[in-house]
Amino acid sequence: MRRQNTDRLYVLEIPLGNTSLLLPSAKIAEVISIGRLAPVPYAPDWLLGVTGWRSLAVPVVSFEGFLGGHRMLPGAGAKIVVLYPLTGRNEWEFVSILSSAEPRPRSVEEAGLVTAQEADLPNSPYVAGGLKTPEGRLLIVPDLEALKTTFYPF
Amino acid sequence: MAPSQHQYLRLVIGGSTFLLPSVMRYTIEQRDALSENTASQSPVAAWRTVRGTRWPAYSLGPDLATRPAGDWHRAVFLEARPQNVGIIVDEVQLLPRGETEIAKFTPLGPAPTRFGHLFDGAWVSGRDVTLVFEPTALIGYLQSLGE
Repeated sequence: MRRQNTDRLYVLEIPLGNTSLLLPSAKIAEVISIGRLAPVPYAPDWLLGVTGWRSLAVPVVSFEGFLGGHRMLPGAGAKIVVLYPLTGRNEWEFVSILSSAEPRPRSVEEAGLVTAQEADLPNSPYVAGGLKTPEGRLLIVPDLEALKTTFYPF
Repeated sequence: MAPSQHQYLRLVIGGSTFLLPSVMRYTIEQRDALSENTASQSPVAAWRTVRGTRWPAYSLGPDLATRPAGDWHRAVFLEARPQNVGIIVDEVQLLPRGETEIAKFTPLGPAPTRFGHLFDGAWVSGRDVTLVFEPTALIGYLQSLGE
């Protein structure tokens, strides 16, 4: 994870439908605008399709699909957050997450962010933890290992 | 990325475009050479009969699920064991060698066939993506559709 100066941990807030994801900035390769997504026959419901990026086909995932809700579809202002390949995967295996709006850089050490209680978090194996903003908004930290197991179950 | 040394067959199936590496033998048959399947419960759209053996041809949608055949003109038959198997196509075209640059691609989630994922590559042009069939999985999938 990218740290600057002393102990600041930089993350990106990725807005979803009703909540947000929080990912270390170091895990993110690029944020791109939404384009035409090519459907993948027989793909799971949480996979929206694939998009071309740097001569690679990058799967685009709706994280809501992992939270038991309806998958989010691209709307006006939506962005694609391209993640570096998950630990242990091949160098071409970039994946991406659909964001409902432009992601926002944040610092975990920001004043007012507190650790979310277990009762506040969605009951999902894909959620590693979370933070709450002073306004009570939940920022979910995804469990990337759990996602990797589901992405690549073979 | 260097241009691929393989040649690829461009297939338009149910309105969607896919590529198939021409590592396997195939034949393109016109509708006139096939007999329509009239059995209502069968997923087979038409049959190609060769020396007493008949090969099924399937009509697929863009999701690769079987669907009733509409107005069609040709099918591509792939050489396979125990029997060849065909797909009704809207268009078929052999792309010139070196014209395509194929990137490796790993589909996410469980494989839909016991032979693995249906795709193992992609041709990317800007933001547009054309998926490349993995031939063994495609044949296994088609043969699993039944008669």
